[in-house]
Amino acid sequence: MTPAIEIRNLRYRYHDGTEALRGVNLRIQPDECVGLLGPNGSGKSTLLLHLNGILPDEGPPEGTVLVFGRPVTPENLPLIRRQVGLLFQDPDDQLFCPTVADDVAFGPQQLGLPEPEIRARVQRALAAVSLEALADRPTHHLSHGEKRRACLAGLLAYEPALLVLDEPTSGLDPRGRREFKSLLRRLPGTKLIATHDLELVVELCPRCILLDEGRVVADGSTVELLNDEPLMLAHGLERPHILLHTHPHPSHVEPRTS
Amino acid sequence: MRPRLPLYPDHCHPPRHTAVHRWPAEWKLAGAALVLVGIALQPGFSPFWFLPLWVGLVALGRAAGVPFALVLRRILWLSPLIAGVALAGAWQPAGGPGWQVLTMKSITSLWTVILMAHTTPFPEVLRVLRRLRVPHLLITTLALMHRYLFVLTQEAERMQRARAARTFRPRATRLWRLQASVVARLFIRASERATRIYQAMLARGWS
Amino acid sequence: MHIPDNFLDPKTALVTSALAAGAVGLALHRARRDLPPARVPLLGLGAAFIFAAQMINFPVVAGTSGHLVGGVLVASLLGPAAAVVVMTAVLVVQCFLFADGGVTALGANILNMGVVGAVGGWCAAQAVVRLVPGMAGRVAAVAFGGWFSMVLAAAACACELAASGTVRLSLALPALTGIHALIGLGEGLISALVFSTVARLRPELLSHAAPASQSGRARDLWTWGLTVSFALAVLLAPWASSWPDGLEKVAEHLGFADRATAHLSAPMPDYSVPGMSHTVLTVALAGVTGTLVVLVFALLLGRWLVRPASAPHAGRPASQRRIP
Repeated sequence: MTPAIEIRNLRYRYHDGTEALRGVNLRIQPDECVGLLGPNGSGKSTLLLHLNGILPDEGPPEGTVLVFGRPVTPENLPLIRRQVGLLFQDPDDQLFCPTVADDVAFGPQQLGLPEPEIRARVQRALAAVSLEALADRPTHHLSHGEKRRACLAGLLAYEPALLVLDEPTSGLDPRGRREFKSLLRRLPGTKLIATHDLELVVELCPRCILLDEGRVVADGSTVELLNDEPLMLAHGLERPHILLHTHPHPSHVEPRTS
Repeated sequence: MRPRLPLYPDHCHPPRHTAVHRWPAEWKLAGAALVLVGIALQPGFSPFWFLPLWVGLVALGRAAGVPFALVLRRILWLSPLIAGVALAGAWQPAGGPGWQVLTMKSITSLWTVILMAHTTPFPEVLRVLRRLRVPHLLITTLALMHRYLFVLTQEAERMQRARAARTFRPRATRLWRLQASVVARLFIRASERATRIYQAMLARGWS
Repeated sequence: MHIPDNFLDPKTALVTSALAAGAVGLALHRARRDLPPARVPLLGLGAAFIFAAQMINFPVVAGTSGHLVGGVLVASLLGPAAAVVVMTAVLVVQCFLFADGGVTALGANILNMGVVGAVGGWCAAQAVVRLVPGMAGRVAAVAFGGWFSMVLAAAACACELAASGTVRLSLALPALTGIHALIGLGEGLISALVFSTVARLRPELLSHAAPASQSGRARDLWTWGLTVSFALAVLLAPWASSWPDGLEKVAEHLGFADRATAHLSAPMPDYSVPGMSHTVLTVALAGVTGTLVVLVFALLLGRWLVRPASAPHAGRPASQRRIP
């Protein structure tokens, strides 16, 4: 089976010369849900930006990046970007259109779909994240949680096969986190979630990759990895309490519009 | 000197939904344009023209839920300019309209523009501009500016508060350098955000 | 300096709107041609930045404070065409959303602040860049250009008000240019401070400004442009103060109705008003001296801001930058 993501010996340097990625190797199969962990500065976001060709900004990547078997080259970019839905860390960067509906429609519009199809997709995407009531709301009037859901809707509207999420629950209040988690749980397809939210990883991702200083230092079962306290502490993380106690809140909560 | 946000509900609270708000943007903009041009072309203060206009504006204002206080505040802000023209006219008459006519016209024009701005969401204004064949680059610039106006002003306020929290009784020179540093960092953040926005556009297929 | 509605008469509003539309159209064309696609969002963000930056107060004296206008700063950071687009966007949003500046006067405001101010100031800055090499020269250029842009914009504003018959030119021009020659000092200083800070923190952001890629011929064009605008700004004042008197004499002479609106016809050289020639000379001299004094201050400022900044930060590792 063709892996959804295959990365071999990927290296990347920032413009000032610092090495961000020093030979990353990983393989993710279709329909897997994988967590990407690592301390700040480990290169998680940089790695994610390689998956749809945003990085490197000049020239081919140093190493191999294959998305559903295709190398990330300028010729393949339009198709790859259709298959990869990248949720950015700051929802304000992603929600650049005036209203929620406009923004969710952006992806389908770039696909060149006819108007009725675009409208239908926008409706479906907004329904999936429970934001139908806010379709005409200006994007700068949303709460943080609503912005994140709107960003997710914007991705779902063009139905990518691979969802790549950069810190999806950061900055959310506990209810927002629970709602977003149950949203993610329901989504089909391959998912790669870069996060500091260890509880999220335990609940959603059977498999985990640990990145530190631009290299993959561990790759395996989430519970095994996260229970390995020396490993966690050595790489700026910790053993999450969820593995020690049962979680007091039910994890499938229907999201509500605020 | 610069008016502080918030001045208009559009930017800080979700728009209201009165009947006036639901009128098509084209009517409101065209109507406002006609009224403004009409006011500009009036040679003097003619009650037959201005009084019905004022009645209409007041009625529209009530229907749309726009308080007159906004106009008053804006007039107060304009008053030094009008006073300047009055003084200049008293000293060296210029032959144009006197300051009384100017004041009447200014109040009426301001009331019209404020009503129009309050009842017409900015994205609708951009849609009308697009139909008027305004170049795409300018419309994109206006759209992005409007979208990130609040984001950047909030960042600026946060940076100013952080700066103020750490400066006690600074000398003027130091304060100017600190404020300039806030502005510079604001530009850097804006520039970095612009890069990320471009990446987000690329990520969803823009070319 | 936002002109409200009804301060300009219809013909002035129309002429300035047409000029502004032409200039903005040209700027849009140049920006579309020269700006890489990755920089397009920076126009919108730049406009939002200018708006937010204009809200940051620089205390002057006893409760009053000044703020940045930003035309020349943006031109130095993004190029003159981009600056025109950015300032236009700022003025349009200020006009529509905040009733800051009249709708019928929008063309005039864009012309004054977005085109004449920003581009004229930028031309002056380019001349200074040619005079003094290196970063000190660029900072000095921003300072001088910032000051010059305010004076130019004020002069344009005064001419428009006079052409509309709202205020007489002999009053408007000295008053407005005088006030803005003072305010312009603040603008120049703030612009220079901001520019030098950006240069210190993120020098790579400055590489996109126009100067480096200009051909020799274009540079000469800018120098000529500066010389012409310099001359106009300096000589306009004394000439203009004699225009209304000169025109009235013409009107009497030729039997026209005596309306004291200033048309753009050249004053008759034969009409040397006795005693006026000395005033003309003194005012012109004052204008040139004042401008040179500001230029010297700008050069000193450039030296002062760049010198201490280079030493302590030379060895700092550039590891702060992270691609998010």
